[in-house]
Amino acid sequence: MTSVTVEAVELTKRYGAYTAVEAVSFSASQGEIIGLLGPNGAGKTTTIRMLTTVLEPSSGEYSIAGHPSRSATEIRRSIGVLPESSGYPSHQTGAEYLRFHARLYGKSHGQARSLSAELLAAVGLEKRGRSRISTYSRGMRQRLGIARALVNDPVVVFLDEPTLGLDPAGQAQVLDLIRTIANARDATVVLSTHLLPEVEQVCSKVVILNHGRVVGAGSVGEVIDAALIEHSAQLRVPLHLVARARQALTNLPGLTIEQVEGQPDLLRIAVETPGAASGASPVEAMNAGLTAVAAAGIPVLRFELEGARLSDAFLKMTSEAVA
Amino acid sequence: MTLQVASAIGTGQDVRTSEGQPGWLVVAEQECRDLWASGRGLILLFLFSVLVSAVAYLTSTNLALNFLEQRESVNLVLQFAVAVGVLATLVVSADGISGERERGTLETLLVTPVSRRSIIIGKLIAALTLWFATFLISIPYLWVLGRDVGILGPALALGFSVGTLLAVGLGSIGLLISAASNSNKTSVGASIFLLLILFAPTQLPSGLPQGWFFEALLRANPVASGLAYISSLLVEGHSWTQDLSYLITPLLTAIIAGGALVLAGPQLVRLTRGVTAG
Repeated sequence: MTSVTVEAVELTKRYGAYTAVEAVSFSASQGEIIGLLGPNGAGKTTTIRMLTTVLEPSSGEYSIAGHPSRSATEIRRSIGVLPESSGYPSHQTGAEYLRFHARLYGKSHGQARSLSAELLAAVGLEKRGRSRISTYSRGMRQRLGIARALVNDPVVVFLDEPTLGLDPAGQAQVLDLIRTIANARDATVVLSTHLLPEVEQVCSKVVILNHGRVVGAGSVGEVIDAALIEHSAQLRVPLHLVARARQALTNLPGLTIEQVEGQPDLLRIAVETPGAASGASPVEAMNAGLTAVAAAGIPVLRFELEGARLSDAFLKMTSEAVA
Repeated sequence: MTLQVASAIGTGQDVRTSEGQPGWLVVAEQECRDLWASGRGLILLFLFSVLVSAVAYLTSTNLALNFLEQRESVNLVLQFAVAVGVLATLVVSADGISGERERGTLETLLVTPVSRRSIIIGKLIAALTLWFATFLISIPYLWVLGRDVGILGPALALGFSVGTLLAVGLGSIGLLISAASNSNKTSVGASIFLLLILFAPTQLPSGLPQGWFFEALLRANPVASGLAYISSLLVEGHSWTQDLSYLITPLLTAIIAGGALVLAGPQLVRLTRGVTAG
């Protein structure tokens, strides 16, 4: 049975007249990866710093792994953190760095040594453990930072922009590690990022912040639905079959069909009012359209959904909040 | 909603390793390794060795020309060793927190269960090792200069006691400045400036002018009064207890600054606003 490991209730952080985070509430359970999204300055890092006891909230409550906010030391024993733009002591070796952090969690010299070797292997740095950190690439440093976040076998792992500045291969490695942390270790991962494709890949739940406030929360699908974006798709068919495709689609209720200007073989299909016409969801309405075209014997050269991605919901929610 | 403020300072029980080592010792161990293995401490020590060699050479030539008495040359080298050792301790302390903050390594320390008090105590102990090392290096020079007049033992005991008091006091002040500063340059600059202000009166060619005001000024200055105590014993041949009042300021500085570091320091060890806005 999974339990709630992160619970934030009305968390607020003020610096004088400036409010960095306002009444942020969310929760996450064991083994879940929750994405904390938002543009730069949205309050993601401040929220993480409050939850990791680095900053005191101005008001609100939170609990981590069942420990209330006043039990800072107990919380620190239960969490692993990769801060944003974390620095590393360049003269230390990767193994030495992990050993020191293991010792900070009460491990003996021997335990720290074996844990360091185990974690270096887990993040694919076993061959570089004895090299100085100054010789590591950015991706290797991020993986070392993740290994450090795991030295105490944490219940909750906070990763603040772990893929920042990494190349696609480095990003993929870090995302794999994040999945492993949640699946193999059954830890909750709070992932702060503004890269939405990676959230869609790994997160089961998202919280979108803008100007310190929560503007959307839930599963990726729920957030997209809540954004009430106009759902549309682009359909490309052979030029001589465009008229037949229009005919097939016209019979379906709730869909609007129009020609894309300057591209005679491309049709734009839009759901008039999501869910209103046929009782179906926008995606179901689109699927029905695609099925109708295929049933009419028209080869589909391209079918691309628009407005059904997290990035669309994110942009809509954050721009609405600005307006 | 009731405000439940997180105890970011950490009032819970501090970490103890399974071998029974307290958190401050783990931090001190690593800080010493960083200081000495990274070469930073060795470079400072090498520079000190060069300088103390030059000072010892100059005093011994003056000695040969009868410009200086042997007691004076021991006093001069010992005062130099204390001053430079304390300066090195202060510089390393001044980098302790602000340096971590600037290098982006402080946050990873703050999220561990080791208390902030343990972090600063560990850092102070590591910085003090630099004072102990400079003192060790100066021993052979003091032996060469003072072996014939039988003041080596008292000189060593005196230098060690006064130097340790000053190193604890000024090292604590350095760490407090470091914790309160947002910039490492500000912290190190302010600490060196402080030491120069304290050290300058001891370098006046004929000492401070006479009079109650200058006497009060001398006694209010922990470095000047500590070095004056060393002089009074080594050069003027006073007894240990005769000018003990000179030690009041170094002692008070060590107690007050050390106490402030232990009690108020943890409140200052934090990430300042505006590190990042995300």
